[in-house]
Amino acid sequence: MINLLKIEWLKLKNYRTFWVLGILYLVSVFAAGYIGYSVEQRALEKSKELKMIAGTSFSFPDVWQSVSWLSSLLVFMPALLIVTFVTNEFVYKTHRQNIIDGWSRSQFIFVKIILVVILSVVATLMVLLTALVIGMLGDRSFSWEESNYIFYFFIQALSYNSLALLFSVLLKRTGLALGLFLAYAYFLENLISNLLDWKIESKPGAYLPLNSTDNLIPFPFVKNVTKQIFREPNFTLLLIFAGFYLALYLFFSIKKFKTDDL
Amino acid sequence: MSILSVQNLSKNYGSIQALRNVSFEVPKGSVFGILGPNGSGKTTLLGLIMDVLKPSGGSFQLFDESPTEKHRQQIGTLLETPNFYHYLSAVNNLKIAAAIKGRGLGDIDHVLETVNLHQRKHSRFNTYSLGMKQRLAIASCLLGNPEVMVFDEPTNGLDPVGIAEIRELIKRLHREGKTIIMASHLLDEVEKVCTHVAVLQKGTLITHGHVDEILINEDIVEISASDIIQLYSAVVHYPLASQVKKQDQFVEIYFPNGAASLEKVNRYCFEKGITLNHMRLRKKSLEAKFFELTKNN
Repeated sequence: MINLLKIEWLKLKNYRTFWVLGILYLVSVFAAGYIGYSVEQRALEKSKELKMIAGTSFSFPDVWQSVSWLSSLLVFMPALLIVTFVTNEFVYKTHRQNIIDGWSRSQFIFVKIILVVILSVVATLMVLLTALVIGMLGDRSFSWEESNYIFYFFIQALSYNSLALLFSVLLKRTGLALGLFLAYAYFLENLISNLLDWKIESKPGAYLPLNSTDNLIPFPFVKNVTKQIFREPNFTLLLIFAGFYLALYLFFSIKKFKTDDL
Repeated sequence: MSILSVQNLSKNYGSIQALRNVSFEVPKGSVFGILGPNGSGKTTLLGLIMDVLKPSGGSFQLFDESPTEKHRQQIGTLLETPNFYHYLSAVNNLKIAAAIKGRGLGDIDHVLETVNLHQRKHSRFNTYSLGMKQRLAIASCLLGNPEVMVFDEPTNGLDPVGIAEIRELIKRLHREGKTIIMASHLLDEVEKVCTHVAVLQKGTLITHGHVDEILINEDIVEISASDIIQLYSAVVHYPLASQVKKQDQFVEIYFPNGAASLEKVNRYCFEKGITLNHMRLRKKSLEAKFFELTKNN
């Protein structure tokens, strides 16, 4: 596996688009957290009553959820990196050349999945770091309580990145895969979800592929208010669904790459 | 030992049958040409052997064993077009190829020198001309000095000097005892460098064997006189001729390779009382031979 990763590193090392977008993402995660923090600070300075209602979302332990939620708005960015990098192989037919030169089809798709995991880990580490730094700025002392949101963020990133891999393997062309992925993630699924919730009593919309991971990290602000309106999500069920979809994305990516004409 | 043996290999793209029941063997040490017009299934055949396409039927063996990626690592292959990472230099692209093949990096400078790309080895692939890309692909095939090489249209996009160099390279590799499998639509190229040939047409293998047996050349003597009809009847039973044809402007007498003598034809006509006003020795065009091979199917 180390050997496969070394070869993947040779491909990525000088791939400027990847690094520019990647670093932009890492900076954006921190910026989003920090902007959220300073906006709240300013609002709280102006009004004492607000502090009573809203609470401080960027102090421990709430900071874990707040930063995870803000970062989840940017979770499409690592997915774009996956789409660009993987479809590049198809566009330049280097996936064929890798097989011709002596990789098995399994090795090719396996190392891409490993890359998906690594990118998700890196994204999660950045969220962890951001939450730590911003939490330290707050007035309450450090606590791991509620840090499970970091894990939920990892599941979300893994899910988005794996779906991006599936779209890339199925569609093969960069523009098409990017367009359809974004359209599905930010429009189509919400549309279907709303339709389902409207028509079906049990409101299954929350358990659609990407929604099931989005809903792991509920809206973190003005909690005292939102708690009365929204039910607490069923985390166990959401995780089961997320795991199920994840297995499907990977299964179909592998199956498609292993059996198709390249 | 045969390097490659193919049994009843077939490939369908939907309703189109790109390859039907193709069987042949490539002996060790041969330069094996796969000859056929565009769309005859040459690249499909090589794609199946390299596992980038999945067969609809049949099987094949590499080095007398069931094919795996380990076998492909021992074969230098250029399939269809040069496929490289556009944002990487020649050297970095070859590093990836060498790593996948499980070969050391020591060869890279050497193979780039062999194809005259050494000067540009640090330029990005997307700054290369078509000919340079083709040279880089051939360099990649040479990595690790493999015993077997597969070239799909190796002289595509090269200028006349480049074409001559690549043909010379293939002949040199053959002299070193390498086995080369080469697909081409250029009959003349196959005839110049190959020892064996398989002719494909519309996915069917028409014939295969030694080049000398399959691409036998003929000499054609073209003659003309003021009265073509009289000339034709005079030479129609010319001894040694394999056939005699009357065209609009001249008469063609066909001979087996090397058997034609202009002097004898001239004397023969003169003795029959005909004075020739035109006479020319022609080698049968290879394209004509190719049409002849493929027209009956």
